[in-house]
Amino acid sequence: MNEKYDVIVIGAGNAGLIAALELVKSEKKVLVLEKNNVPGGAATSFVKGRFEFEAALNELCEYGTKENPGEVYKLFEKLGVNEKLEFNNTLEAFNVYCRDTSMHYEMPFGINEFIAKMEEYVPKSSEALKKFFYLAEECKNAIFYLEENKEYVDTNYLKKNFPNFLKVATSNVDKVLDILKLPKKAQEILSTYWLYFGSPTSTLSFVHFASIVYSFISKGSQIPSKKSHQISLTLAEEIEHLGGEIKYLSTVKEILFKDKKIAGVLLENGDIYETKHLISNISPNTLYSNMMPEPLIPSSAIKLTNSRVLGARGFSIFLGLNQSAKDLGLDNYNYYIYDSLNSEKEYQNMSNIKNTSCVATILNNVVNSASPKGTTIMHFTKLFMGDTFSKNITEKNYFEIKDKIAEDIIDDFEVTTGIVIKPYIEEIEIKTPVTYAKYFDTPDGVIFGYKATGMDNYLPRMISLDEENYIKNLRFCGGFDVKLSGYCGTYLSGDLAARLTLKDIKMEGSDE
Amino acid sequence: MELDLKSLNKKNIETLKSLKKEREKVIHDSTSNPIKNNYVANELAKTLYPNIQHIKIADITEETQDTKTFVLVPNINAGTKKLAYFKPGQYITLAANIEGGIYNRPYTISCSPKNAIEDNTYTITIRKRPNGIVSNYFFDKVKIDDEFDISCPSGEFYYERLRDAKNVIAIAGGNGINPFMSMAEAIVDGILDIKLTIIYGVKTKEDILFHKRLNELSNKNNLIKVVYVLSEEIVPEYETGLISKEIIDKYLENENSFFVCGSLGLYEHMNQILGEYNLPKKYIRHESFFGRTDFRGVEEYNVKVKTCDKEINITCKSRETLLAAMEKNGIKAPSKCHVGECGFCRSRLRMGKVKMIDNSLREADKDYNYIHPCVAFPESDIIIEIPN
Repeated sequence: MNEKYDVIVIGAGNAGLIAALELVKSEKKVLVLEKNNVPGGAATSFVKGRFEFEAALNELCEYGTKENPGEVYKLFEKLGVNEKLEFNNTLEAFNVYCRDTSMHYEMPFGINEFIAKMEEYVPKSSEALKKFFYLAEECKNAIFYLEENKEYVDTNYLKKNFPNFLKVATSNVDKVLDILKLPKKAQEILSTYWLYFGSPTSTLSFVHFASIVYSFISKGSQIPSKKSHQISLTLAEEIEHLGGEIKYLSTVKEILFKDKKIAGVLLENGDIYETKHLISNISPNTLYSNMMPEPLIPSSAIKLTNSRVLGARGFSIFLGLNQSAKDLGLDNYNYYIYDSLNSEKEYQNMSNIKNTSCVATILNNVVNSASPKGTTIMHFTKLFMGDTFSKNITEKNYFEIKDKIAEDIIDDFEVTTGIVIKPYIEEIEIKTPVTYAKYFDTPDGVIFGYKATGMDNYLPRMISLDEENYIKNLRFCGGFDVKLSGYCGTYLSGDLAARLTLKDIKMEGSDE
Repeated sequence: MELDLKSLNKKNIETLKSLKKEREKVIHDSTSNPIKNNYVANELAKTLYPNIQHIKIADITEETQDTKTFVLVPNINAGTKKLAYFKPGQYITLAANIEGGIYNRPYTISCSPKNAIEDNTYTITIRKRPNGIVSNYFFDKVKIDDEFDISCPSGEFYYERLRDAKNVIAIAGGNGINPFMSMAEAIVDGILDIKLTIIYGVKTKEDILFHKRLNELSNKNNLIKVVYVLSEEIVPEYETGLISKEIIDKYLENENSFFVCGSLGLYEHMNQILGEYNLPKKYIRHESFFGRTDFRGVEEYNVKVKTCDKEINITCKSRETLLAAMEKNGIKAPSKCHVGECGFCRSRLRMGKVKMIDNSLREADKDYNYIHPCVAFPESDIIIEIPN
């Protein structure tokens, strides 16, 4: 007899772990299948020499503090894991270098502080910026209302409480910032954070951007004391503690159907587990094209998947430096290195393999104990779009090309900031789309899910959620899902998938 | 606050409905062709980092009285068409079923990466070790056409251009010559751009592995130099005694990276000698597949191993690792490096106490009692949960 579960979660990434924990808390019998040997997916760490590197997290948004909690804090509180975790506040909102103009801007957290600093850089920007934050807060609240009341949206309530939100709901970032008469330069500085959406401000949805920037500036961002592995492991522990099961080194080979209904999964080792409810923490592309017989995939699901654009591919450099950050002159937490503050131009740069724009973070400046005394952990993130990276590599030149890209990024960082780091490299690890394809199985090693653009921005995804539940009792979560990629989005998407699955289970009960 | 948003079309709740319709239209207009799944990055990931490579033994050469070289080729019938590329200095972990035990052993690839790409072969050289179950099996029993599974190339013991000095001083003891053979071959093949001086310590001239080939390589290419240091024999033109600072000094340039590979005895000796240079840690890289074996205890403990679907009771001596005990008992426990570095054997200690050495556990793993069984010696009865 094969073991039977109420729900099987494929993939123990951020979203998969949250979904599983929420379901075991609702007393469902849950199995999580993870192909790697640690939980967390991207949210992990790895050890090299005397350094434990943070694998993915630059900063966690929507966490905040006990006094000023964000959505992720509230979710963790509901799941009872906050007290097992320890977070540290990052230093500044952004510290951005623009190479074309040789300018450098350092923006603080806190809405008033942010507005005041912007006024120093761009005189007469504060009135418009105040309006931006006012509108951003409304957008955030409106989105929250819509998510909570998806099925019974009260039109009058919406009109009454979120009138401005409705006016900007379909606009992109540039359009709304223009209307608010925010000076161009202030728009560009404010938009520094666009990179994490992987989409330039001309196509990025204003409501999504604004609501996240609002949380980010008002609540700050946090980093766990013992790398993201601490969060992932804590969630995994809690799942097991409450009776859920997590099987590592377990790769799903096929989704099993009976009478066209989900019946279970077959693993690569031949094991079969039965369930009527699946939550997929892997991308629809991977699930449909590798784990399902084609005739069983509804054509609308295929069309939706084909209509989407894959988001940014990641290229990361992890450095263990044998000097303290202070001695090296690395005083900030983050360094956004851009050629231009114009996101459209920078977005074009993501299709140029030679471009060296990147974000660098210095973990020790936030978590003092991140590495041994007198050493520093530095992490560079470089993003590529489309096949920019892939089309340049072969099996034979792969090691050479990745070294070359990394070297150029480090060299240009040194030139831009005047900070010398190369002679102090004690450990180095370079991860490319190939590495990410190996660990996550995402199409082309994408790390940002689908590109948030046009009709695939957050809001259209969210309001179409029910219509796009093409396979009954299969729910997606994670970076490719409605809440887009990033830690905050994926944690919240796991919560959503669990709630939808609980609803599916309930519906099933009433069917019978 | 009053916002002047007049220039936007006066939209209301219809906005949301229109978004939904527009999205439906995008989907409707999209193609229903099969979803693309042959992306370059994914294909290359499979080529470079296969979970498993099925191989066959294609050739066996006796190098010395206790050392043999094995040429590995893909086992096409088992589904492996080509071997993965690697960096000179990396190892593969080989799985062998011997008399009811399931053993994983790391072996450094000693050939050039060019052999993997062009001839589809790896070469490994195995020295027979006293009580070495796998090495004795390979030396005495393995024959041409025997089939095994190996891991993808792994390990960190390779030249890193952005970190290391271009003048590499390789210190090898005995079978520790393997990674440097691969590096030397790669220099000749134009794959590796470094200046390599191999200082090779052995007992007698007879014990030198790859003697002829090493001389050929160093004659062929002036970026490669080999210095033999014989501890138990005096031969003209060979250095005598143990590897010393005086010998090393002759080959130093302004900036040097040391790569040390050999027995634990060699490490202790080199730690002392290289310590005199007072170098930053980055300039000294180590590789060893020999865990510490100097535990003298004679106790034997009960170990309950929980796998994915069953519980197995075995015993483990205080001087053997939990991994060794599991392997001997035929338990398929994941492992690669066997020296507590790679983390592949990461398991949960559910009960009991272990002594762990040279460990590279993640900080959070320590909080939840995770261990690396490849370097964990029992100090009490144990319950361990392995990820398999």
